[in-house]
Amino acid sequence: MSDKKFKQYIWELPVRWCHWVNVLSIVVLAATGVLIGNPVFIGSSTDAYLMGWIRFIHFVFAYAFLVSVITRMIWTFTGNCYAGWREYFPFMGAAGRAEMKEVFDYYTFRSKHPPETTGHNPMAATAYFGVFCLYWFMILTGFAMYAEHAPGGTMHSLLKPVYVLMTTQTMHLYHHLVMYLIFGFVINHVYSAWLMDIKEKGGEISSMFSGYKFTTSPYAVCKSRLWDFFPWKSKK
Amino acid sequence: MDREGKEKQKKEGFSVARMLEERGVSRRDFLKFCSTVTAAMALPATMAPKVAQALDKVQRPPLVWLEFQDCCGDTEALLRSANPTVGELVLDILSVDYHETIMAAAGHQAEANLEKTVKEFQGKYLCVVEGSIPMKEGGAYGCVGGKSHLARARQVCGSAAATIAVGTCASYGGIAAAAPNPTGAVGVKEAVPGATVINLPGCPCNADNLTAVVVHFLTFGKLPSLDSHGRPLFAYGKRIHDNCERRPHFDAGQYVEHWGDDAHRKGHCLYKMGCKGPATFHNCPTQRFNEKVSWPVAAGHGCVGCSEPQFWDTSPLYRRLPNVPGFGIEQNADKIGLAFAAGVGGAFAIHGAMNALRKDKDGASENQKDGEE
Amino acid sequence: MAKIVVDPITRIEGHLRIEAEIEDGKIKDAWSSSTMFRGIEKILKGRDPRDAWYWTQRFCGVCTTVHSIASIRAVEDALKIKIPPNAQLIRNIIIGIQGVQDHVIHFYHLHALDWVDITSALKADPVKTASLAASISDWPNNSATHFKAVQEKLKAFVGTGRLGPFANAYWGHPAYKLPPEANLMATAHYLEALEWQKEVIKIHAILGSKNPHPQTFLVGGMSIPVDPDSQNALNADKLITIKRLLAKAQDFVEKVYIPDLLAIASFYKDWAAIGGGVGNFLSYGEFPDPISGNLWFPPGAIMNKDISKVLPLDQQKVTEYVDHSWYEYQDGQGKGLHPWKGESEAKYTGPKPPYEFLDTDKKYSWVKAPRYDEAPMEVGPLARILVAYVAGHKESKAAVDLVLGKLGVGPAALFSTLGRTAARGIDALLIARQTPVWLDALIANIGKGDYRIHANEMWDPKTWPAEASGYGWHEAPRGALGHWIKIKDQKIYNYQAVVPSTWNASPRDAKGQRGPYESALVGTPVAKPDQPLEILRTIHSFDPCLACAVHVTDATGNELVRVKVS
Repeated sequence: MSDKKFKQYIWELPVRWCHWVNVLSIVVLAATGVLIGNPVFIGSSTDAYLMGWIRFIHFVFAYAFLVSVITRMIWTFTGNCYAGWREYFPFMGAAGRAEMKEVFDYYTFRSKHPPETTGHNPMAATAYFGVFCLYWFMILTGFAMYAEHAPGGTMHSLLKPVYVLMTTQTMHLYHHLVMYLIFGFVINHVYSAWLMDIKEKGGEISSMFSGYKFTTSPYAVCKSRLWDFFPWKSKK
Repeated sequence: MDREGKEKQKKEGFSVARMLEERGVSRRDFLKFCSTVTAAMALPATMAPKVAQALDKVQRPPLVWLEFQDCCGDTEALLRSANPTVGELVLDILSVDYHETIMAAAGHQAEANLEKTVKEFQGKYLCVVEGSIPMKEGGAYGCVGGKSHLARARQVCGSAAATIAVGTCASYGGIAAAAPNPTGAVGVKEAVPGATVINLPGCPCNADNLTAVVVHFLTFGKLPSLDSHGRPLFAYGKRIHDNCERRPHFDAGQYVEHWGDDAHRKGHCLYKMGCKGPATFHNCPTQRFNEKVSWPVAAGHGCVGCSEPQFWDTSPLYRRLPNVPGFGIEQNADKIGLAFAAGVGGAFAIHGAMNALRKDKDGASENQKDGEE
Repeated sequence: MAKIVVDPITRIEGHLRIEAEIEDGKIKDAWSSSTMFRGIEKILKGRDPRDAWYWTQRFCGVCTTVHSIASIRAVEDALKIKIPPNAQLIRNIIIGIQGVQDHVIHFYHLHALDWVDITSALKADPVKTASLAASISDWPNNSATHFKAVQEKLKAFVGTGRLGPFANAYWGHPAYKLPPEANLMATAHYLEALEWQKEVIKIHAILGSKNPHPQTFLVGGMSIPVDPDSQNALNADKLITIKRLLAKAQDFVEKVYIPDLLAIASFYKDWAAIGGGVGNFLSYGEFPDPISGNLWFPPGAIMNKDISKVLPLDQQKVTEYVDHSWYEYQDGQGKGLHPWKGESEAKYTGPKPPYEFLDTDKKYSWVKAPRYDEAPMEVGPLARILVAYVAGHKESKAAVDLVLGKLGVGPAALFSTLGRTAARGIDALLIARQTPVWLDALIANIGKGDYRIHANEMWDPKTWPAEASGYGWHEAPRGALGHWIKIKDQKIYNYQAVVPSTWNASPRDAKGQRGPYESALVGTPVAKPDQPLEILRTIHSFDPCLACAVHVTDATGNELVRVKVS
């Protein structure tokens, strides 16, 4: 194995932007959300509008989060292969599954070889797929609750299936609970990034700012293609 | 009135206006009443003449009121119906042929009244249902005259012009349908899917809303527009929270923390005492109860969300969120969520510690030798 | 021997069925059956005890406050909470007006048509009616013009040929004995009472947001804030409205209800010898003093019509049997269980609907058979007034002696259908006069600067002991009501309500002792078996409230949390 590391441009600008907008929105949404659920503050007078502002911030960041999530999803079809949608289903191909096992073994101390991945590591990518589902759950329930201020409005009509599936109280409950699942993901994510940064020596964390990672093998920057659905090909 | 007039009246049946006149209600009062119901139905004021016209023509359509697994609360609400002189009479505009709580007849003779109406006015009478319908044990959990509630509902609601489910029990199963639903109780629409049903949930339903639905039906010959839970938009089209007189205190961040504290006395927001106004669609703040005297929030107790489906299982009175399914009652979402997050954090802390101790083969050791560039 | 069935018994709350065997124009034996079951006590298991009042309130929408009161008292007893004086007084006012309004509705709208033939009112002379009314009361509406207007309305209504709720009743039955004028007077007051009842009950709306089902009760107090300087709390304006409504209530009872009751009763004195019942009476007492906690109506029991003494009560003596009820006990039937240990699983063994008759030799009702010291007990206004009378309660004694004097009968006449109906009137009168006293006490206490309405110390379930049990008694309009609760780990572990109509509508127990309805019906004459008006009279004299009466508990503490996503 060569010790030489190659500097590669992996994370394009929209990917990085979306990532950090998500980070900021999740932090702000969680903080304001917790306060909305349990207002520990005390408004000094009736014109204070404290809860009003907190809810306003929550809604502004909800829109920011929505735009970010949608942008990132569009980019899975237009960005490079590391941003591509196929990244999120590594378990669909034999090579991907093999890679996943490698990473899994390392995580569970069964192997001593830190796996090297150029883009997402397949375990992480699978988790991201799950997290995107949670994002959409939060977006749908969140906006469904938000739209109740104007029943019959466009947003309320668009979200009708959500009201059929859940009562408002149920939405409140699960919107609240899923926040904790996202907390769990964040803990995992930050820890894994830190771990892989150390173990892979690929500049994992700084890559989220610069876009560059260091890898042991040179390769051409790839393009994701929409029609390239099957068969599954390893990106190597 | 001359003899001929009387004969004519007998032939044509009753008109509401004439009846009210006989009861000492002037034309002026009648028109005033019509504007009131028009407003209750959230129709434009220009509709009031049409309402008056329609009521003028109505010939006391028959109405039967069935009580199943009920507490009689909606009947009592009807007795308190809001417009003091006329509200009551609106029910007189109907021929209430069957209502166990108020009718004079009993036993077989009462049952005969019901059968007569169902037969003679097939597809033309209105049916009001109070209480849920038990589906288990072949209907033995509820019988009248030896017949199960389900059998009666199928027969009577099935051939009614429309069925008005009053109260949360008749609408969605209500209290009897709360977990573990020992009797398999369901609402009318679920028990008789073929029937035309309008839901007026609430515990009990507001009699003003019932009156408004009946008048709407008589005026336009059809039921008002409904939301996805089968409730008329004129009464359930907005959240309690959005019409609440205490909303400014919510936005300001002024909340009652203890019963009887300063904020409670000053009428601050009851959000932290478990008020379900933000999750409940109903016109309580505007329509109020007992001739608009009051409503729960105005009297210092939070909304419990009684007009929402499954509210019994999802609206603990004094806590904001429902219980988390599958956990004990004291396990709220925050406790479970924090435990989960702490668990994840702890797991990775251990993982991290183990990683700090372990030696990787091709990664760490080899790269260390000549990895510097 | 003919067996007849009256199902539904109308003009009551709930679903009641009576089966009776008639021999020689008299009822030889009778069976009372409730035909509706919801299982609310089972549903209550595992829930927050602070919420229980709201659930149990839905036992009944007619006696719409009573289960809330009993429930919060049970939890307060279990947790040893003492509520502030304001809360106690507000509860007394709510209980008071509930009792008065409920009795008037019962008399005019649920019971009167058993005695009053509306169709006969058409033949009355309004002028004579006015003089009859004037001879018994100075009520301002008792004018010939008013009675004529009522008669005209009635004529117009009957003229349509569509009688609605009045169709096909037992009109013209030989057991109706009132002259047309008395019938017209009662019919006019039937309509007036309909207006009156929704006015006076606004007191519940002021103190508790709405009626039926006021939403204001809290474990530890009440949720209506008190502050004369706030527009969002109980202030002078609201208190004075309550005062005005209480005066209106008292006025109607004194000038309309009681005179009508006496007038109608004087035509039906033979009913003072019919419908006696079990002869055992139970009253839990009511209206606690805000400071001492002493009850204004004294509690106690009277056995075997022995009005020489009142026995003190012991809540441990209350048991329930299921030998003739559609439930199962784990250790088999044949013995009664105290409500704290009250267990049962619903098990329907009756005929598959539709059915003609129930198998009354076996199990035949959803009502259990409660017994006090192994005896069936009658509860209600009669029991309450008898106990108070014998215990020497000043106000009760005066009122009972007055009514008995006017009717020219002795105390023994009280053990009857008529006695039950008269006692209800006396009860309404006493409460209507006493409730303003509680209001004055409340005003005085607020005047002293005491605005407390809730004892907060035990509000948070974290402050509770791991296990607690308590019971709450309330002398409801329909009689002795008790809720028993066991709390474990801040949850309801067991909940049992033994309510007035459970006592009165009780089926037979293990020994085959009849319940009060059943006993009272035995010996009742039935002139026309196909039109058993007499059965309605006796049953209605108890003021049945069947939705309340049917319960079930479950011995295993199931977790009950469900969020159905449909």
